[in-house]
Amino acid sequence: MAEQPCVDLSKTEAILGSYPHEEPSLIQVLQDVHRAYNYLPCDVLVRVAEVLEVPLAKVFSVSTFYKAFSLEPQGDTIIKVCTGTACHIRGAGQLVEELERKLGIGAGETTEDLKFTVKTVNCVGACAMAPVMIVGEKYWGGAKPARMSRYLAEGGSDEN
Amino acid sequence: MPTLKVNGRKVTVAEDVYLLEACRAAGVEVPTLCNFDGLEPWGGCRLCVVDMSLAKWDDDWFKMVTACNHPVEEGMTVITDSERVLATRRVVLDLLLARCPETPLIQRLAREHGIEETSYELNPEPTDCILCGLCTRVCDHIGVSAIASTDRGWGREIAPPFNEPPPDCIGCLACAEICPTDHIKFTTSNSCRTIWGREFEMLRDPKTGEAVITKAQAEHFAARSGVPMTYFETSDRSKRLEVAKTVERLRVVKS
Ligand code: SF4
Ligand code: FES
Ligand code: FES
Repeated sequence: MAEQPCVDLSKTEAILGSYPHEEPSLIQVLQDVHRAYNYLPCDVLVRVAEVLEVPLAKVFSVSTFYKAFSLEPQGDTIIKVCTGTACHIRGAGQLVEELERKLGIGAGETTEDLKFTVKTVNCVGACAMAPVMIVGEKYWGGAKPARMSRYLAEGGSDEN
Repeated sequence: MPTLKVNGRKVTVAEDVYLLEACRAAGVEVPTLCNFDGLEPWGGCRLCVVDMSLAKWDDDWFKMVTACNHPVEEGMTVITDSERVLATRRVVLDLLLARCPETPLIQRLAREHGIEETSYELNPEPTDCILCGLCTRVCDHIGVSAIASTDRGWGREIAPPFNEPPPDCIGCLACAEICPTDHIKFTTSNSCRTIWGREFEMLRDPKTGEAVITKAQAEHFAARSGVPMTYFETSDRSKRLEVAKTVERLRVVKS
């Protein structure tokens, strides 16, 4: 795993170059790495541990603790369907079902072409607009299953 | 040196200790699960709660604190068996019993606190790990940090990175030995040790052939201490034989 990087490590080196090589940089570095690769590849984590001189177990611990980090490759566009109380009542379930029909994936899954990842989240703080769906950076309030194609087309890719 | 009152008994203890030590000095038992002498206290299990009142507070004003990591102060009053302290410990054990219904240590502690069965929903996947953090803390303490807590909430567990055999592990067994519930499994034979899915070569005493410690462990400590590797491969029996020989020689000299 560590010997054969299957991802391009030059992005990691550039990120590591812009932070002091010490433990307090860890989360910042992981956030930048996540932005660059859209997930945290394991050989990148090994390299980060090495350079920051943080035990690999600690790096893995932090990487698995935060929901914002994914250890699996994710789609270019991340779709978040709010399934908080308000959105649930106003039909978030149908949105998830429609996505399943359209993309063939359920919550927490990624399409095979790595275009989309669907996630459910609990209340994004916009209950008045329920049900809320976020496609990439774009928020859709009062979302309707019938308009799903439009949401997917206009969502744009995600700088997550 | 501060003087405190624990359950009515006066004790004087060193400046820099925690309440737990004052309780012990007063001969009062306080149950603990995540504390281990020699490791920094962590305050994770919450079983060691006690009621504490500072000298300057109103007489009937008490605060519940964890004894293992609360520093002592002159004139403190500590009560370890108030109704609310016992009730809190019962909640802790009730929850632990739901998580670890098959773990003898937890069953026994719960029973000692009057709990036969948990009042919470049983964990569908019983585990022996109470997440006391002793294993990861001892691993950090010896400068290895091969394992850590992963994930969060329900999914939290102690694991090596990527749930694969940990590259930094030296096979010292510190984690398995310190684990209060024997959750961490290992095997040791005269030639090989396995733990966390990794295999380690054992270092053998050149005289007796006994397995002493893993080669990786000896290398780790030799590198940090400057003590030669040969020191680590000597078994206890070998050392005793050496001592016996020396004593023999002494006798010869004497007579
Ligand atoms: S494995 Fe044992 S020592 Fe480690 S956290 Fe779990 S119970 Fe505590
Ligand atoms: S429940 Fe969806 S925004 Fe609050
Ligand atoms: S022993 Fe004090 S909190 Fe665990």
